[in-house]
Amino acid sequence: MKLTDKLLAPIDKALERFDPLWQAENGKGGLRSRYYDKTGVAKWREWRGVKDTLYDYTAWLNNILSMVQMVASAPLPILKGFWEYRWMGSYLGTFMFIDRLFEGYRGTELRIAHMNMHAIVQSLTKKIAFGLKNDARLGGGKDTYNIIPHDETITPLFLKGFKGLYPFPLQTLPEFIICDIDQHIEPYYIDVAESYGLPADVCSRCAAETGVAIDDAFPLVGKVMLSTNMPCNASEATSMFQRRRIGKPDFPITLAMQHNNPEALPYSRQTLKDAMAFVEEHYGVKYDWNEFFKYARLMNEQNTIELEKWDLFKTPYSPLSGVAESLYRLYEWQSVNGQEPYFNKVDRKVIEIMRRAYEQKYRPFSGKTRHRAFLWGPSAVYYTDFPTWVQNCWGITIVLNMDSTMGYNMIDTEDPKKAMDDLTRFTEKACMRHHAVGGWDNINALWDWARNFNCDMILFNDNIACKGMLGTHALMEEQARDLGFHFIFVEHDLQDSRTVSRQDMRNCVNNYMSVVLNEKPLDPTIVEFDDSQAY
Amino acid sequence: MRKKCSCKLLKLLGKLLGKVALIGLIGFVLTFALYITNGENKLIYYVIRPWLNKHYDSQVRDRKV
Repeated sequence: MKLTDKLLAPIDKALERFDPLWQAENGKGGLRSRYYDKTGVAKWREWRGVKDTLYDYTAWLNNILSMVQMVASAPLPILKGFWEYRWMGSYLGTFMFIDRLFEGYRGTELRIAHMNMHAIVQSLTKKIAFGLKNDARLGGGKDTYNIIPHDETITPLFLKGFKGLYPFPLQTLPEFIICDIDQHIEPYYIDVAESYGLPADVCSRCAAETGVAIDDAFPLVGKVMLSTNMPCNASEATSMFQRRRIGKPDFPITLAMQHNNPEALPYSRQTLKDAMAFVEEHYGVKYDWNEFFKYARLMNEQNTIELEKWDLFKTPYSPLSGVAESLYRLYEWQSVNGQEPYFNKVDRKVIEIMRRAYEQKYRPFSGKTRHRAFLWGPSAVYYTDFPTWVQNCWGITIVLNMDSTMGYNMIDTEDPKKAMDDLTRFTEKACMRHHAVGGWDNINALWDWARNFNCDMILFNDNIACKGMLGTHALMEEQARDLGFHFIFVEHDLQDSRTVSRQDMRNCVNNYMSVVLNEKPLDPTIVEFDDSQAY
Repeated sequence: MRKKCSCKLLKLLGKLLGKVALIGLIGFVLTFALYITNGENKLIYYVIRPWLNKHYDSQVRDRKV
């Protein structure tokens, strides 16, 4: 035991009654005890012992600093952005979001989680400032027409070959990330789309994107738009609505749906080449492979470290799991995509900590894990802080999420011809296409993923508006029975929390754990509670 | 003369460090109090967001496609 730990031990002992984990263990309350009913507003922040509370406090300060830097870098555009865009107001919920995500986290888990989360915060704040500074709707800036806006499910890496241009995932700020932070924001945009005549039974992500377009809430940047058919045909539809509303020339990057088939490669490769030619034509900039290779190397390093993390995830000694893993990987892969060296630095630090934890046979979450689960879950698992809740309530560790399994092939960094093939495979394996709507083999791979990561349980999110995945429901149930996995369907309506509430989602797990497995919760205060008015 | 000078310099340095430490302490107490009482989130949830939402609800948007 370190000297500081020895000195702090009596203080921690004296204050342990304020620690919600201790309260739950001793029947004196739990994680929900410090909240005002319904709102998700905590009366005070979680007491985690002196060391961990101080660590959480410094992480909080660090995130505040990033936000101050964001405002200082573009004060007027930021203020205008707050005034113009409803979704900007939702970003004020970030602190509450982070608190929720890391409830019950202690020691190494907490440190890694905050390192990953701060990487996202510092990146997002820069993106917001850059986007608003150059938003033509707010007056524009020097880079307004040097930006290449693209659909968020298109990987921006291939666009890094255009020196002096900036890829910008258009939906990420007003729709994708913000729906994770605030469950009440997308229903507003969904209503806008539906009041215009869009049927109410389409995928809520696409409905929300359409609503953002009709509400004129996308920043106006760039000369063109790169749209896509990724991940599915609903996405294609929303691309069309966005094209009509925004009114810029667009190039639909339509990658092969059944992309596992090697014969699909030339088709997808040609589509990417055509997209490059389209950008060259409209921006007058030649593609520079050497420039691209610089970023491909960073992406390769990201993926190399990720694959080593996967080896550690297979053991019981990984302090990185749950939301700290899945949200970070999702953002790092889909949005950063080799463009930001800060993420490589964080990866290097985190893998070092994970190696040490493995050597020391470190048991995360005080060894309270009862089940190891593979999660097949999109956005609805973030605004509900689902991975954190299943860990704290039932001792289910989310080992890996489907979003974490996106393109992990290495990209050649010397030969443009080979690089083009690698890049195509990599791009095809983007968000959702890789694991849901890219053909049966990709969905069926779920069992192999779960088995390879030593999981005994699968949490399978059932998006009630996803026409593609609804057809697989009974097939998955049948297979789970045959293969002997604990299999829980978690119903949700992706970004519309009105149809299936957070508690409805939690009840899917509650019912299975109590009725089928006859297990008792680790913290009874979070089995059933009303957080309907929380962000 | 030189002794007097270095003595003055040390005193000045001591005062400066004392002030920095005091500002640091006050800063820590204030920010930690805000942190532990969840002050900023209460302010955002109960005051700022309702005010902003009122503004957003009053916006007139041209939604013709």
